[in-house]
Amino acid sequence: MSAIDEFEEAREDLEALLIEVLGSVFSEEAMPVWDDALPPGPIVSSRLAIHDEVDDSYTMVEVRTSAIVARVLASRMLLTADPGPDDLLDAVGELGNIAGGNVKSLLRHSCRLSLPLAEMTDDAAAPDVDGVTVRAAVLGQVVELTVHLAGDIEGLTWPGSASEEVVETPA
Amino acid sequence: MKILVADDSKAMRMIVVRTLRQAGLGGHDIIEAEDGKQAYEIARAQNVDLVLSDWNMPEMTGIELLKALRSSGSEVPFCFVTSEGSDEMREQASQAGAMGLIAKPFTSDAFGDILAPVVA
Repeated sequence: MSAIDEFEEAREDLEALLIEVLGSVFSEEAMPVWDDALPPGPIVSSRLAIHDEVDDSYTMVEVRTSAIVARVLASRMLLTADPGPDDLLDAVGELGNIAGGNVKSLLRHSCRLSLPLAEMTDDAAAPDVDGVTVRAAVLGQVVELTVHLAGDIEGLTWPGSASEEVVETPA
Repeated sequence: MKILVADDSKAMRMIVVRTLRQAGLGGHDIIEAEDGKQAYEIARAQNVDLVLSDWNMPEMTGIELLKALRSSGSEVPFCFVTSEGSDEMREQASQAGAMGLIAKPFTSDAFGDILAPVVA
């Protein structure tokens, strides 16, 4: 069974995970949503890879939300009224890191987690990938968690002494 | 008491310090490190009394940091604060000499339960 099959079977676990993580980091109630999409405008995303050391596959975990939510998150995490762009990336990167660590815990075998890579883009369109996406609303805004097999893991780095080594896309 | 907080996220370092305070364990000197290598150098140079460390960090991971400290003869109390809390990692942490592993997202109760015995 592939990692994505495992996550499709664990969709409810992914939804619960997203709700719990958002509720904790925002100190606000988060609710699952199914039809709502991210609003138009700047998006802040965090992505990281889970390397399955058994079959040498990579699963990508992506968290995406609006810059509005990212700003609130950074403001609360860093206790600043006016977070800068780097603060938004740090906050959403850590949100992705927490989500990724918890997603990894759903897998049954030995895996390794990359460091998160956070970016801000103008594109609110969902990534065109074959994976599992769950959404939740916090502060009336959507946060999206997508888990998919990784075709492109360029730019990600791994923790520890190999962190300077940029991950190569598997053949 | 000197407490070293190691995490590559500034936001998370701030949350860890805040949560210590919320757990009734505030009022100590806090030193921050952005990665494991920096944490190792600080821990060796400044005789810290407690290390709270992320697991996945650039340069040197938390478990590499813990093993390096133990190899150098340091017995400083060491607790992981990390996004991964699998049984495998808890076992690995315990075998390397960690006093505990607090999984993110966490509560101040989790901090109090694990850290109160060593934080005066």
